[in-house]
Amino acid sequence: MAILGPSGCGKTMTLKCIAGLMTPNQGSIILDKQVLYDSQQRINLPARERKIGFLFQNYALFPHLTVHENIAFGIRQLPVAQRNERVQQLLGKMRLDRFGHRYPVELSGGQQQRVALARAMAPEPEVLLLDEPFSALDTQVKEQLEAELLEIQSDFQGHVLFVTHNLAEAYRLSSKMAVYETGGLLQWGERQTIIERPVNEKVARLTGMENIFDGIVSGIEGSRVDIRLGTGYLSLYPDNLNRLVVNQEISIAIRPEYVKLADSQDKNCLTAELIDGKEELSFYSYTFQFQEGTNIKVHISKSAGPGLENGNTYRLYLPSENLVILGE
Amino acid sequence: MAVMDLNPLWISLKTALVATAITFILGIIVARWMAGREFKGKSLLDGIFILPLVLPPTVVGFILLWILGRNGWLGSFFFEIGRPVVFSWSATVIAAAVVSFPLMYQTARGAFEQIDANIEDAARTLGASEGTVFWRITIPMAWPGIAAGTILAFARSLGEFGATLMLAGNIPGRTQTIPVAIYFLVEGGKQQQALIWVMVILLISFASIVALNYWKKYQRRFSSRLVREVTADS
Repeated sequence: MAILGPSGCGKTMTLKCIAGLMTPNQGSIILDKQVLYDSQQRINLPARERKIGFLFQNYALFPHLTVHENIAFGIRQLPVAQRNERVQQLLGKMRLDRFGHRYPVELSGGQQQRVALARAMAPEPEVLLLDEPFSALDTQVKEQLEAELLEIQSDFQGHVLFVTHNLAEAYRLSSKMAVYETGGLLQWGERQTIIERPVNEKVARLTGMENIFDGIVSGIEGSRVDIRLGTGYLSLYPDNLNRLVVNQEISIAIRPEYVKLADSQDKNCLTAELIDGKEELSFYSYTFQFQEGTNIKVHISKSAGPGLENGNTYRLYLPSENLVILGE
Repeated sequence: MAVMDLNPLWISLKTALVATAITFILGIIVARWMAGREFKGKSLLDGIFILPLVLPPTVVGFILLWILGRNGWLGSFFFEIGRPVVFSWSATVIAAAVVSFPLMYQTARGAFEQIDANIEDAARTLGASEGTVFWRITIPMAWPGIAAGTILAFARSLGEFGATLMLAGNIPGRTQTIPVAIYFLVEGGKQQQALIWVMVILLISFASIVALNYWKKYQRRFSSRLVREVTADS
């Protein structure tokens, strides 16, 4: 599971509260029915008794201990032979066999990261908390570590919770996501739901749903809702109709990659002028402008053909299943 | 000069060692306590701890006399139980400890404050009790700073003159330390004997400084660690 949110929104604080390194003002923290913290019952288990592994953003390795000693720190109560065996096993898993005797300062960032991960895993925690695990690494090291993390996740029985400000990272590495913003939790659920059905504008913006328009409900027929957007009309089939009434002002949104150039469709099409085009690695990023002046961002795969020309007018198709009505 | 009175050397060493031991323990306790806390009046308290470093030693001596003298609030107690502090060997220790405490305290506090709190937290998540965190993580990481503070405090104790003279006086064989002996030898025109003591002090102090530099080098080995910039998140 991932916690996604911008810098300074309390993600790290959430992890620290779960780990017992910070004390929340109120509320409760419950892990598999075990109460770790409860402000009303005055329960506050100290960090050392929570069996939670924590991977710090800056790794926080013990600089005065070797890699071997770092990893062994959490299992110092084990008999020496058993402890060494466990450390060796983790060193092997993390491809650190040759580095057991080194000090953290003598390792690269990626290696330090793996030591920190091995150290956190050594006592077999019930939960592994990862605080921005990849933010300090370059792309290649990062990809490798992501792969390792996924592998660990698959043979790790506990929960993995990680914090990031990177949407793609959160999506790749987790099945469930919580979206945070200063002040608290905005939405929590399956990653697909978060990406495709954000509950409000904030979540939409944080998850890259860049196109957000103001429209007016022009009609409701069965499960279909018609929305007037400037001079055009769009139809969609929202999951629930309860709160909608005709003439209501609403916000609707669509991800840039779901907007297509219209070929034969006649419904859900809007006319717009291309005002800006950028070439990204695997797609074109276009900005179109509707007659009334609103912009729409569209990502079109390069495999779909050559680039479009600025100044031309196109018909854009906004599939109804990809349109979302945003709440307040 | 056939036989030289070596008493000042023994008194000085004994005084400096005991005073250093006291400041070592007190300094670490106070530094640790101050490093991890924010409270009203912290800088005021900090100022009081540092004060002996900036005050003229005679002023420190005067204040100590005022507290520990026969009519002082603490001194009268010791006088009652028949162990007056003033002009005793313990007075040399107290004077040395008070003036060297700020050096130990300040250096140790700096060392504690430099430690990344995440590292101590990491130990906590790995099942370490507060005691384990302190002895296995905090102290080893702060050790270079603590060692430097100890050496500085020792050198300062050894060189203490003003407060010692005020509180302990100049009693040969009991409170006469090397710096005090030098002063009275020079005053008595015994330049050559004074010179010997000067050489002894030079030797010990220089050795201390060399030792300190060695520790600084050792410390640098640690502090160059993990200085990677990380995108900041609260």
